[in-house]
Amino acid sequence: MASAAVIETRGLSKAYGSGSRQTAALRKLNLSVHQGEIFGYLGPNGAGKTTTIRMLLDLIRPSDGSASIFGMDVREQSVEIHRRIGYLPGELSLWEGRTGQQVIHYVASVRGDSKGISKHADELAQRLQLDTSKRVRDLSSGNKRKLGLVLAMMHSPDLLILDEPTNGLDPLVQQTFHEMMDEFRAKGRTVFLSSHILSEVQTICDRAGILRDGELKAVESIEKLMNVEFHWVDVQFRDTVPEGLAQNLRASDAISQVDVNGSRVKMRLMGDFDPLLRILGVGYVKDLRVEEPSLEEIFLAYYSDSKEAR
Amino acid sequence: MSGIVFVNTLRTSWKQALYWGLGLGLLGLYIAFIGSSSDLIQGYADLFASMPPALLQAFGASNVDVFRSAEGWIVAIFVSEAAIFLAVFAVMAGLNITANDEQSGILDVIMSLPISRATYLLERWAGYAAIGLGILLLCAALTLLGMVIFGVEAQMDLIFISILNLYPGTLLVMTVTGLLALALRRRAIAIGLSAAFVAASYVFNLIGGAASGFVADLMQSLSFFSYTQGEQIVMGEYDPANTLLLLVVVLAGCALSARMFLRRDIGV
Repeated sequence: MASAAVIETRGLSKAYGSGSRQTAALRKLNLSVHQGEIFGYLGPNGAGKTTTIRMLLDLIRPSDGSASIFGMDVREQSVEIHRRIGYLPGELSLWEGRTGQQVIHYVASVRGDSKGISKHADELAQRLQLDTSKRVRDLSSGNKRKLGLVLAMMHSPDLLILDEPTNGLDPLVQQTFHEMMDEFRAKGRTVFLSSHILSEVQTICDRAGILRDGELKAVESIEKLMNVEFHWVDVQFRDTVPEGLAQNLRASDAISQVDVNGSRVKMRLMGDFDPLLRILGVGYVKDLRVEEPSLEEIFLAYYSDSKEAR
Repeated sequence: MSGIVFVNTLRTSWKQALYWGLGLGLLGLYIAFIGSSSDLIQGYADLFASMPPALLQAFGASNVDVFRSAEGWIVAIFVSEAAIFLAVFAVMAGLNITANDEQSGILDVIMSLPISRATYLLERWAGYAAIGLGILLLCAALTLLGMVIFGVEAQMDLIFISILNLYPGTLLVMTVTGLLALALRRRAIAIGLSAAFVAASYVFNLIGGAASGFVADLMQSLSFFSYTQGEQIVMGEYDPANTLLLLVVVLAGCALSARMFLRRDIGV
């Protein structure tokens, strides 16, 4: 991964409304996205993902703080920045009465190189199996999304900003999209991708930022996030679970969510295995399985303040 | 400015110009047909002479003598009616500048492209201004054609100028609607206020023209309809300062719209 920051935000904040009815949508976001990486921006609906993206695109103005892309201020040099980025909105609206081809041609004309761009657009459309001769109003939501991806990528931008890009795409096209993202990264380009689909972020992103209630809770490499120190442990005893074992497990600070079912006990273990192995020693362990937490569970762990979740 | 948005606006909206122009042109043809009968217009003029001034004003003139000539008849009746229809077009065009695209979310896509907000706004405005002009030219062409077909003996240049003089008022309503939509961010409220602006202008012109005195004069001067000057053109009393004043207000509205559009959030 290269070190140059493509996106940089400093104390970026946004509040909607005024006076007592003011609502903070984003609070003091400090974030750096580096060249050549695919950055996943995770969070549930209303967390502030789209607000961040819209500020990066200068569609909305920050209440406080600043943001730069390619070292240029997003407000002062938005036209220059937009020349080098591709954007797919979360809720894509296009000219309903026009064909995909007409929309592509218009957007390419505004970008200033309609011939070259349109040729690349055709290649992308073919790859995504999109029929651009249909009117936008006749396209399914998935095909509209494909058209949005073509519009975002057809000028080979240095940075892609994608808001929930795979919403409505079928699994096969999602696979194609993942391949396209890999190729994009291989060319040293950058992707900033918001999503609430954790498996997607896990599959294609290098790093992820987790946003909650307008605050950035964590920014970690996917590798590190996957390495969060808890595991699901499933223990199978030869006979029934020894008496008192469940209480001992629950009494341990490192163990939570203990679930006893016949000869099996399932739990969540934080940190080292040694405390668990000492407790389990009272019975005959027939089988022991350890599962890595999914990104979703890690995500939920970041979201919860309680010991239970952590 | 590349002119791409301007050209695209024309490309997507030329049918509007055609339909509006044909519709108003047909109205012009019909009025020209009536104007071809001097007995008929003299009869109407006698009828108008018996009416109170307020009613006469509703028919587009303050002086009944205007109706006694063919050009006076065509201009007074046609211009006053066309001004109302054009105001409806102008409200729709004003909403099309940014409000409709903003509400649908298309503006998000456009503003993520390498085009400045000022350029976009200006080209959209210019696009709809050109469509408005196209409507007027088509409508004038059909009206003049009607005069030729029906053998109306009248000064065509006066009628052409009178119809073209509807343009500044049309631009004004379009600009005011666009500005209201930008300021209020709610399409429905912008439509309501623009309609109120047109209706109030019409009533002010009607009442102001029917009476005399300071208040009446003030009311009439506040109405953009009073600046269309169809009657004054026929009577040879046209004052270009009035047209200029409307254009200055239009320019000021454009500048204010641009300032607002540059500063505000989009699509919130």
